[in-house]
Amino acid sequence: MTAAAFLPWLIVAMVLVAAVQIGRRVMLWRAGKTARVDWLAGLKALPRRYLVDVHHVVDRDKSASRMHVPTAGGLVLASGLLVLGLVPALAASRVYWAFVALAFLVMGAGVVLEVRRRYPRALPRLSLGRWQRLPVHLGVFAAGGLLTALLAALGNPLPALSFVTFLAAAAAGLALAGTAGTGPMRHALAGATHLVAHPRPRRFDPASQKGEATGLRPLDLDAEKLGAETPADFAWNRLLAFDACVQCGRCEAACPAFAAGQPLSPKHLIADLAAAAGGGHARPYAGMPYPNERAVGGAAGLDAPIVSPEGLVHPDTLWSCTTCRACVEECPMMIEHVDAIVDLRRFQTLELGAVPMKAEEPLAHSRGCDEPNGRPLFERTDFAAGMSLPRIVEKGEAEVLLWLGQAAYDLRGQRTLKALIQTLNSAGVDFAVLGGQERDCGDLARRLGDEATFQRLARANVETLSRYRFARILTADPHALHVIRNEYPAFGGSYDVVHHTAFLAELVESGRLAPASLAGRAITYHDPCYLGRYNGEVEAPRALLDALGLERREMARSGKRSMCCGGGGGAPSADIPGDTRIPDIRMGQVKETGAKTVAVACPQCTAMLEGVTGDRAEVKDVAELLWEAVEAGRRTPAGAAPARELQPA
Amino acid sequence: MKTIVLLSEAKNPVSGRQQPSRLEAQAIGLAAGLDEAPQGLHAGSSEEGVAAGLGHGLGGLDVVETPAGDDPLPALSAFLRRAFAGDAPPALILCGRRGEGGLETGLVPYLLAEMLGLPILADAVAIRPGEAPETLVVDQAMAKGARRRITVRLPAIVTVHPLAPPPLPFAFGRMRRGEVRRHPAPAADAPAAGTLAGERPHRARPKLMRTAGTASGGANLHVGPEPEEAARLILAYLEDNGIRRYGPA
Ligand code: SF4
Ligand code: SF4
Repeated sequence: MTAAAFLPWLIVAMVLVAAVQIGRRVMLWRAGKTARVDWLAGLKALPRRYLVDVHHVVDRDKSASRMHVPTAGGLVLASGLLVLGLVPALAASRVYWAFVALAFLVMGAGVVLEVRRRYPRALPRLSLGRWQRLPVHLGVFAAGGLLTALLAALGNPLPALSFVTFLAAAAAGLALAGTAGTGPMRHALAGATHLVAHPRPRRFDPASQKGEATGLRPLDLDAEKLGAETPADFAWNRLLAFDACVQCGRCEAACPAFAAGQPLSPKHLIADLAAAAGGGHARPYAGMPYPNERAVGGAAGLDAPIVSPEGLVHPDTLWSCTTCRACVEECPMMIEHVDAIVDLRRFQTLELGAVPMKAEEPLAHSRGCDEPNGRPLFERTDFAAGMSLPRIVEKGEAEVLLWLGQAAYDLRGQRTLKALIQTLNSAGVDFAVLGGQERDCGDLARRLGDEATFQRLARANVETLSRYRFARILTADPHALHVIRNEYPAFGGSYDVVHHTAFLAELVESGRLAPASLAGRAITYHDPCYLGRYNGEVEAPRALLDALGLERREMARSGKRSMCCGGGGGAPSADIPGDTRIPDIRMGQVKETGAKTVAVACPQCTAMLEGVTGDRAEVKDVAELLWEAVEAGRRTPAGAAPARELQPA
Repeated sequence: MKTIVLLSEAKNPVSGRQQPSRLEAQAIGLAAGLDEAPQGLHAGSSEEGVAAGLGHGLGGLDVVETPAGDDPLPALSAFLRRAFAGDAPPALILCGRRGEGGLETGLVPYLLAEMLGLPILADAVAIRPGEAPETLVVDQAMAKGARRRITVRLPAIVTVHPLAPPPLPFAFGRMRRGEVRRHPAPAADAPAAGTLAGERPHRARPKLMRTAGTASGGANLHVGPEPEEAARLILAYLEDNGIRRYGPA
């Protein structure tokens, strides 16, 4: 009997060992809450989700896709072929062994590419430890398999050697299978199952709007326990998702809080959440630590609190997040970090009242007077004294309902709103505001975990809106836009919500506005997370800026992969200190483009970026730039060369 | 140490909606340091605002349902008398110090102390159990940031100063779980004593530019001086502050 004849049995043994290991993991997942999963649809969609959605993300890092396709493909192919080798007739064929050798060769090639990513020095975002040893195991397995099969294909000229190579393959293969529950190879099955049973199947549906897969789900406020305290409080497919993580660190590299030295790394957090269910890290975590890491006790288990100074995750980690979704956008395993973070926050806020002291004030105001800044609702329109700003109470109906949002209370935000209102008036848009009847949309409360206050505000706003007739809601605040468009439907209010950049672009395109050209000026555009990543709207603002004749320079991170300004998710209220500030980093990226102006489309971004001290680009809302152009257009007679030298770029 | 926090009807100054009074929420925070489940007590017609006290850390809430606009004193004192007579009498009653938008006069703690015959101590910023049993050490806030430490014998009534630590953040889940016990108002027999306050138009008064400082605390505190010595100290104090001008006695 040749050594190669044992290879099929090795595969069988590996599958058995892996099955036992994964079975133990499955028991943990089953301890999670139930979740409604459409298995059939998920299974049907699996190939597409894997080959299109996952590949689309993986392929952003070419070295990753180039290494993964041959490695995984070769491994699956070789294993599949070897199982066929249990048929004696096939095992006797030298051609068969040549094919097996070929499959191992493909796998080996992939492993070589993987080794190049990790040796001599791994990319900083990658984890070391067991992850660093993974290509060694895979390599030995592939090489052992290759040589054994090759010798068999050649007619077994060196039986002793083929036993040695077989033993090497067996040792490495069993080592891989043995860690399929807690080690790197866990990602294979967990990742595939996660794609099938994904908690947000809509994100894979090319026909659905991006926002449908990004809105938070309402929490049942009558539930036994509100939010997630322990691993067992997560739905089972969330626990599964944590296990799918490959510690590639793409999320970490994109995370603004990590970059600013705040104690958050989404990768570390997911690794902690995955480890929490099983009672802690099986091996020490080998990625980069949380920046300025806070000491924690490390207690873990299915029923142990996760977020606590005694647990695995320090509360400061949780409150550093801006909910910018950069991590979710980058994750090749389709993990939903923000959902997990908000679930954990909900427990902290609703059950423990453990919000950071500074964040309690806006929450208390939201509870007491429906505005996080504590200002009376009727003052919302004070800034527009002397402007034509119709109230919908007086008109009863309007084509467009203008949602003012919190910007109306802020001097800087008011400048943007004034520009917008003047533009609307000059285009003859039939619009109106709610005035004193507009309450805060509840975004801040919801992201800080105060679901009770959010739901109250949402219901009250939906009730108010139901009293008037309008075709669309227009807002200059992407947070309000996201919440009203994607999160209010759960409370009985479905509206056509449009962001001012899209609306103004429409006006310009249809010729209702005649802006002059602002050519000769270079700008860069900062995408608000809640517009770009949450709602996929990255083109309208750019089209508008281009229509103004501005020279648009893109930052390295733009569009759906843009970097957060640091203003979302209540992070400025929680104010967890770091080494630097997120808006400073973003302003540095603005500077790299050489543009003297950064165009923004969100009052939060405006406030954060304007808060950057020192010599920096000017911050202008798209609406302000447009209004400037419209005014210039009025001064110069139509048709006259409209290019204005406002400022040499 | 069994602690009861008196809750009044407060209104949000911006929206006018009922809400827990901040000072009383701070009182709950102080109480939580002594009692795992401090209890709230409210007499009034609605629990809408005070129920939020449960979210700030109360273990339970007793509401004596009195008609709107009624004097809460009889209801409160009757309830507390019963509590003192019961098998787990409260050791400490914490209150705010002034009304926040309701019908309060700010006198309730004092009138209650009088009716129940309890000592009252104003403006606590910190409290902790004393070394001797049945005593409480209170840090009292005084003008200009001065503090005075006082030990009182329990049971007692203590009012809380706004400089006490901020309240525990509100937790919706705690409020939802907290128990609200409703009690009917006692038969209105005794008319409220000594609360026949009149109403007259507001008259602007000149601002006090100079105050006597915090001389009553700090270095000027003398415990158990001889009568002779005490008289000399008082006269010296009056001289120093320009209240009596006869030259040294
Ligand atoms: S969570 Fe996703 S992006 Fe982050 S390390 Fe894990 S697999 Fe990579
Ligand atoms: S949402 Fe943004 S801030 Fe939060 S963990 Fe992800 S990348 Fe970091």
